[in-house]
Amino acid sequence: MNYMPGTASLIEDIDKKHLVLLRDGRTLIGFLRSIDQFANLVLHQTVERIHVGKKYGDIPRGIFVVRGENVVLLGEIDLEKESDTPLQQVSIEEILEEQRAEQQAKLEAEKLKVQALKDRGLSIPRADTLDEY
Amino acid sequence: MEQVCQLEKIKCLQGSRLNQGSGKSHVPLALKEELVSASQLEEEELDPDLAPDVEEEEVEEEEENDLGDPAVLSAVRNSQKGLLSSLGIMAPGVLGMSPASLHFLWQTLDHPAPLPSRPALLGARSAACHFGPRLPAPDPALLCSPPASWPLRLSHLTQLHPQHQRILKQQQQQQGRPQSPPAKKWPQQPDSYANLMTQKEKDWVVKVQMVQLQSENPRLDDYYYQEYYQKLEKKQADEELLGRRSRFESLKLVTPYIQKAEVYESVVRIEGSLGQVAVSTCFTPRRAIDAVPHGTQDQETAAASSQRLWVLYRIEKMFLQLLEIEDGQQDGPAQPHDSEQQSSRVEKLFQALKAQGQNNLEAADDGFLQALSVGKGKALVARLLPFLPREQAVSLLLAITRHLPFLVKRDVADQALQMLFQPLSKCIRHLTFRELLQGLQGLVRLPPGCSERPITVVLQNQFGISLLYALLSHGEQLVPLHSSVKEPSSDHSTWTDVVVLTAWEIAQMPTASLAEPLAFPGNLLPLFCHHVDKRLVQKLEARMGCVAMDIRS
Repeated sequence: MNYMPGTASLIEDIDKKHLVLLRDGRTLIGFLRSIDQFANLVLHQTVERIHVGKKYGDIPRGIFVVRGENVVLLGEIDLEKESDTPLQQVSIEEILEEQRAEQQAKLEAEKLKVQALKDRGLSIPRADTLDEY
Repeated sequence: MEQVCQLEKIKCLQGSRLNQGSGKSHVPLALKEELVSASQLEEEELDPDLAPDVEEEEVEEEEENDLGDPAVLSAVRNSQKGLLSSLGIMAPGVLGMSPASLHFLWQTLDHPAPLPSRPALLGARSAACHFGPRLPAPDPALLCSPPASWPLRLSHLTQLHPQHQRILKQQQQQQGRPQSPPAKKWPQQPDSYANLMTQKEKDWVVKVQMVQLQSENPRLDDYYYQEYYQKLEKKQADEELLGRRSRFESLKLVTPYIQKAEVYESVVRIEGSLGQVAVSTCFTPRRAIDAVPHGTQDQETAAASSQRLWVLYRIEKMFLQLLEIEDGQQDGPAQPHDSEQQSSRVEKLFQALKAQGQNNLEAADDGFLQALSVGKGKALVARLLPFLPREQAVSLLLAITRHLPFLVKRDVADQALQMLFQPLSKCIRHLTFRELLQGLQGLVRLPPGCSERPITVVLQNQFGISLLYALLSHGEQLVPLHSSVKEPSSDHSTWTDVVVLTAWEIAQMPTASLAEPLAFPGNLLPLFCHHVDKRLVQKLEARMGCVAMDIRS
């Protein structure tokens, strides 16, 4: 039942499993229990999912209260199709290790790039030193 | 126990039915809560009294169609009973249904023949159902509607992939529900945390969102949706005309009409929510009073800023008094008592205006001048002048004239002195010759320790020059009256000196810096002609003449 035709509302998503992407890059999966006018979310049985390549790991987090302005997007998860994924689930330790290795590799590649640019007399400001928007 | 088992079966079926019907997977809801919530949800288009019957028959049929294996069917039923016994017996009251309706359900389960009292419970729901002839003596009223529309609970906005839509339509035509294997549902845990957010809370959120959406002219604010909706309605009307399908109303967003508050609240509190929402729009910016000094001033000390605040405070108080006076006049000068009261108010206000600041060591007029330094203070004086008796008005006028350069300098930011010109020019007409001379002398006299006459600054300011011209013009009017009585007196010579000096100053000033007066009195040039030589007059004419031309044209 659409309470407000012509608008987008989270009311119908209550008590369903959602994937929420936050502004800091985290991915949370949980049951949406409550909302308010700012789209603050209460997530239940939340799991933080870390993806590295074809692997992913879930860290159970319990209950989350997310401030609305920090949400990039969210979407309902189809429970039947949830397990139907080519990705491979691994343990938490393993995924954290993989993540660390990935960050390392990225940093090194970045360093090389910056060095190469410097050699050619160019400099590009790093994304994290710019303002958030 | 058996009855309760039957009841549980109803609930399980209902649970499965709801799950399947939604078209997307649900975590199976708690058996108990499912029934309760179903009975609460009017919008779900499910009559709880009704659904179990329908379901039972639906599911039977479906199970036979899909599973085709009575063994499986009974296995399913048994597992339900197993679940049931583990849950124990539940009181009917808990389920939100009256014992009477429960009784009906049990009966219909055992005997699928229609019960006479059924239609009463059904109300208006009598849409045909697609469940076919297989069902023994179906009462159409029993087998109600919702399944037909339920899976397609989509608003006109839902855009499905064309293939998806086709499949859904097919399923609808067949037996009404998308085929999702029911077996998968049972093993999952019932969701005991469902409905933590009550309907009341959901309605509250929707209400807040609706309030935020309301607007005076939706065609402007919500242009795209309004256009879309119009097109949609037109399309439906066309289709109806063509007879292609029966008209059904698409829902339109209707926002509640709430009177917008005239008062601007800088902090809006939405009841029931935590925290405040600070409202600041382009129509109501946050700064409420003009207490912030402009950047052009030199750094103010703490004393100076507190002094300024004190002045602002005084002005506010005086303004309230002024408003009272103006209201008093509005009502009409009816009784003498009223006019007495009025004049006492005016007197009070005048005293307040002249009052000293916090230090009584300051010079006279200072309170008055401080008030005039603020835009609002000028407005106050301008509105007060008509009410003042002659002497008091004249004293204000002379004070202004005396300190004209100071006021001109202070007015750079506001440019508000103009509003004083009208009332002051009225006041000038009541000046005596002596008073006039007093004022003018102050302007042309060279102050000690300063090489510049005040008049120089005055001439460069619009208000200043207008006031000066007005004074001179008045003097010129008064002179014939005055001189006819006596021989050339000291007043007369003073007057001549003033005029000559003024003429000289005007001639000295480059035309560009000469300000344009608000009003140019006609008797000025003749005045100068009387007192100064021709060459000077020509110069004056050149400067003032072009100005005069502009005004007249």
